[in-house]
Amino acid sequence: MKRNLSGIFTNLIIFVLGFLSLAAPFVLPQARNSGAHNASFPIMISLIIGLCLIIVFYEIQISIIDNKMIAFLGVLIAINAAIRFLENAIPGPAGFSPTFFLIILIGYTFGGRMGFLMGAMTMFVSALITGGVGPWLPGQMITAGWVGQSSVLVKWIVRSFNWSDKPGEVVLLSVFGAVWGLLYGAIMNLWFWPFLGAASGQSWLQNAGFLENVGRYSTYYLATSLVWDIARSVGNVLTLAFLTRPVIKVFHRFKIRFSFQVSGEKS
Amino acid sequence: MTVTTAWVLWLLSGMVFILSTRNPLYLLITILMFYWLGLKFEKERKGGQWIKLNLRFMLTIVGLSGLINMLFAHTGKTVLFDLPNGWPLIGGAVTLESIVYGAINGLVIGALYLLFNIFNKALSVKQITRLIPRAFHPIATMVTISLTFFPSIQQRIREIREAQLIRGNPMKKVADWLPILIPLLVSSLEDAFLLSESMTSRGFHTHSIRKYSSLYLVLLIISAFAVFAGWIFGLYDYPKLLSIGLYILAALVVIIIFVVSGRGNPSKSYKQEAWHLGDKIASMSFSLALMTTLALLFMDNGPTFSYSPYPVIAFPQLHWTGIVLSLIPGIPLLIQKND
Repeated sequence: MKRNLSGIFTNLIIFVLGFLSLAAPFVLPQARNSGAHNASFPIMISLIIGLCLIIVFYEIQISIIDNKMIAFLGVLIAINAAIRFLENAIPGPAGFSPTFFLIILIGYTFGGRMGFLMGAMTMFVSALITGGVGPWLPGQMITAGWVGQSSVLVKWIVRSFNWSDKPGEVVLLSVFGAVWGLLYGAIMNLWFWPFLGAASGQSWLQNAGFLENVGRYSTYYLATSLVWDIARSVGNVLTLAFLTRPVIKVFHRFKIRFSFQVSGEKS
Repeated sequence: MTVTTAWVLWLLSGMVFILSTRNPLYLLITILMFYWLGLKFEKERKGGQWIKLNLRFMLTIVGLSGLINMLFAHTGKTVLFDLPNGWPLIGGAVTLESIVYGAINGLVIGALYLLFNIFNKALSVKQITRLIPRAFHPIATMVTISLTFFPSIQQRIREIREAQLIRGNPMKKVADWLPILIPLLVSSLEDAFLLSESMTSRGFHTHSIRKYSSLYLVLLIISAFAVFAGWIFGLYDYPKLLSIGLYILAALVVIIIFVVSGRGNPSKSYKQEAWHLGDKIASMSFSLALMTTLALLFMDNGPTFSYSPYPVIAFPQLHWTGIVLSLIPGIPLLIQKND
């Protein structure tokens, strides 16, 4: 219980800190008030997000990780990284990625911390395999982590309405996947949007208020990312709609098997 | 240059410099260094192909960035032509300055991409994995397991796919994934189960890291807030020393926690990396370059690496510090010659 509370508290703090850093252009009008600040902006965002990841990993490490979880998640992350290559075998529209449904279902079945770890580490391992380590990686890791972590919310709703094993469960997970398909892109853009923007109707403006900057960002998002993100969203809906039931059954089966405890005699 | 630490310093110094400059000439020099390095790495394979591929990428990103900015930003005094004002979003004057501004943004993205592309080429997956601090031993083990299982899982996917194709599964819809995914999940998780049993029976990773862990966790959170606060203070023009002090304090706390937490997980290496004289000189040069760039970022009256084509385009000014810093990423070229 104490570990759960400390976990919720830590994750809330980290969510606020990470989100505040990403949302700095909207809430901190000074975020780009000079050339020097402009230059250090993406560095600071990456640094703070990197620290947030370190804290969440540390908290997860001292609270839930044991041998069983290491082996279980290690193999699942490898599966998810391999599934990324499956999209070449079964073609989908641009932006479509089959990796999110496993992240969502792990968070949904095993809890928020496992979901976070699954999301973040999938991005990390995929980047190692594809040579995609870059400044975008901390942002990708924390956002994918949030995807897995927040699927606990679906679990709460499903439990509250007693929708387990009912169509409502799959529908809700599909809607959740659709929302995250769009949100993932919207959050990932924030890392570079204020940094790259020019003096146009779509760029960050220092003198503009919160709502005006949100409007400008929305225009930028509509013009550059929406089509791509809709494809991801549709992909999430399709994979979750078709695959949720059988995959959850497999996870439940292994959840029981992985709950073995070893107790030895004290020497 | 083969030492991981030297490459990490190369990456950090290069990244901080690229992100701190908007001067297209500095960026072009740095990009030239990257292409030269990339060519060196790819020489044994198809160097020309790597250059062609990455040049095409660079031209695309610079062109696209310039085009998008040209269409959406209507600032600048050198008007090339006008788009009808009635056209939503893109209507207005098209200026040379907006194209140049967009192209510079493209150069920054392209340079960052090349920097990481070369970093990924220079270090093996094993070397990058070993960069995970010892304090995160369980996470590092998880990554190692993933990387070890990855090839066998790919092989399994191929086998299951072939079996399904022979059975007449066309593999064209998302629903067709099910006969691949479920056998893959079940067989791989069986392997994970066996692995976890053998790890448990061998007493691997007991709860050694949990001592004082709550205190360390609180200190880590405070460090993150210290960095965030330092950044905010910097933005609102508080004394710079306050921000720098907070950054140093946070860095010290994080390093101490990493060292103390990592003590329980001694690092074992089959083959230690050998530090040659070249590696030492290169590492010192990268550290010096990194510190210089950071110092210049915080200095009020130092040479600036920024450049803006607005309101009227002008030739970018050059300073010797900027030229030296943009040449620094090419140091591995000198060392590789003597390897």
